[in-house]
Amino acid sequence: MRKFFVLVRKEIRELLTPQTIIPLFFTVFLFLFMGQVIGAEGERMSARQSISVLDLDMTTASKAVPAVLEQVNLEVEAYHDTSVDAVIKATKKARGTVVLVLPEGFEKDLAASKLPQIEAYNILSGFSFARLQAGVTGLALASINESLSDKVMTSMVPGTDPQILKNPFKVKEYVIVGDKMAATSLAEVTGFVMAQTTFIPIILFIVIILAATMIATAIATEKENKMLETLLSAPVRRTTLVLAKMFAAGMFALVAAVVYLFSFRYYMESVTGGALSGTGGAAMSQAIRELGLVLNPAGYTLLGVSLFFSILCALVIAVTLGAFAEDVKSVQALITPLMIMILVPYVLAMFLDINTVSPVLRYIVLAIPFSHSFLAAPNLFFGDYRAVLYGIAYEIAFFTVFVYIAGRLFSSDKILTMKLRIRKRPVLK
Amino acid sequence: MNDVLSVKDLKKNYGRFEALRGISFEVRDKEIFALIGPNGAGKTTTLRLIATILQPTSGIVKVAGLDIKEDAEKVREIISYLPEEAGVYKNLTGEYYLRFIAALFSGDKKEQEGYLETARGIANLGERLGNKIGTYSKGMTRKLLLARALMTKPKLAILDEPTSGLDVINALEIRNTIREFARTGTSVLLSSHNMLEIEYLSDRVAIIDKGTIHDIGTSDELKAKYDSANLEEVFAEVAR
Repeated sequence: MRKFFVLVRKEIRELLTPQTIIPLFFTVFLFLFMGQVIGAEGERMSARQSISVLDLDMTTASKAVPAVLEQVNLEVEAYHDTSVDAVIKATKKARGTVVLVLPEGFEKDLAASKLPQIEAYNILSGFSFARLQAGVTGLALASINESLSDKVMTSMVPGTDPQILKNPFKVKEYVIVGDKMAATSLAEVTGFVMAQTTFIPIILFIVIILAATMIATAIATEKENKMLETLLSAPVRRTTLVLAKMFAAGMFALVAAVVYLFSFRYYMESVTGGALSGTGGAAMSQAIRELGLVLNPAGYTLLGVSLFFSILCALVIAVTLGAFAEDVKSVQALITPLMIMILVPYVLAMFLDINTVSPVLRYIVLAIPFSHSFLAAPNLFFGDYRAVLYGIAYEIAFFTVFVYIAGRLFSSDKILTMKLRIRKRPVLK
Repeated sequence: MNDVLSVKDLKKNYGRFEALRGISFEVRDKEIFALIGPNGAGKTTTLRLIATILQPTSGIVKVAGLDIKEDAEKVREIISYLPEEAGVYKNLTGEYYLRFIAALFSGDKKEQEGYLETARGIANLGERLGNKIGTYSKGMTRKLLLARALMTKPKLAILDEPTSGLDVINALEIRNTIREFARTGTSVLLSSHNMLEIEYLSDRVAIIDKGTIHDIGTSDELKAKYDSANLEEVFAEVAR
């Protein structure tokens, strides 16, 4: 055990170099910076939006439109006695994005049920916030529509609430999970849970690739520079060598995972404008709790254990692949199968429900140890602890088998003689 | 004299390629024994087998009476191996690297300090030991690695081309260190292309080519036997 920690200390010292630490901090900085910028920009855009209204009619009906728009929190720049081009030019100058033109004869056409045509000009200066901009136009037009239809209905059916004519029934949606039920919409529940868990596979993907590349590169470097030969001739068990390398890289991966998790969560919250923690978020949280779609400490522990063994599985595969590397350059090519192994369940889990796909595909996906981490969170939400435990047991079994294989590999000639022949045949010495 | 290393009918195949075809030799206590031969002769394979890094196909190798297959872990405690043109952990300081290796060989702090003291004397790098190894010259790196290999005062030091690629001064310093250590009790098995170096350094020489040892003796014995002026001529005669 003493030699294990001696080796771990050396491995950590080797791993903690500016070359590994700077990219880690740079990524964190990037997430925080992007979160700040996008959050601030989003806040600016979603704050009181301005809209220009050119009234070419100047009647009671058209003059009422700005007030309707003010009611839905739009800041109205009203224009009349000018041209459309002039208003667009002025709006552009004021960095506005939407111009509504109320045509001449607007009130007259309304009265004659002739469908007056409102022109909406969207000034597009980029695609980043185009959706938000489209939302402003849509909101403006919907609120004008609402107001005018109310008036039309009131005039056509006096004494009746126009709302009853528009929506003759109310809807109360419920979501049922197992034997629990909550009054909320399915779309909201799905959106909330996705927002809470979507970053787990992303972080897992980044961390696994990072740690696996690091450990495979470390082994390839030791092999290429013959430092491995010194270690193999030292009084240390081969499995201790393998486990120490994995433990050090695993520790680094865990720290990276935690750092990425917090920075990514910060980024997500900045981008969504803290929607999850707002008033709507509180109501949603209540419904989610009622449905039992929250992780209790046991759930979090199981999720953590599953993630940890996923990382270990990736590391032990990377150690084995690293042993094949002829030099550092060949590491990237060797890591590719591992990346595909991680990508398959990641992509499939995004688009398919693994539990309902064909048995062959399902078993292929479940044979990949990382799938169990991707599936752990949804399974835990639905209280399927057994599936998560089976997944962890599979990950442990996979890890144990590969540690044995890696240990055997490091104990045999193959660690020095086995080379992946990507470019040329090796020359035996 | 007792044999520190005994090699009997050692064979090593890589697939169908026979790297070693049954070689036998002994290294005596405090002896410097050299394997000389061209590239691909089987020198490095022999050294790696004795260093317990490779597994023999057949044959018996014993280090201080311990079988390299049966007692590999115990063998590793009494040997040290310096690979040809071995690299270093460039991000570690020389001092940390030596401490790391010392800790692998002993759990006793006092013993570790003893190893370090010996290593500092061999490396002779002064304050540069506190610098990262990545900043060392080739000569400094080789001296550090030799210090690492000898600091534990192993029963058998296995040195593959110890002065390869070094300038005259550094090569001379390393040769002197090896000789001093052999005198104090460490037997040395080394390999080299440099026949003149071998003639100067070694007590006995084995001439190896194509996985076979052709002859063993002291430099003088071999030169007399083959009526040659130096080991280069001996080798040319034997290999013919």
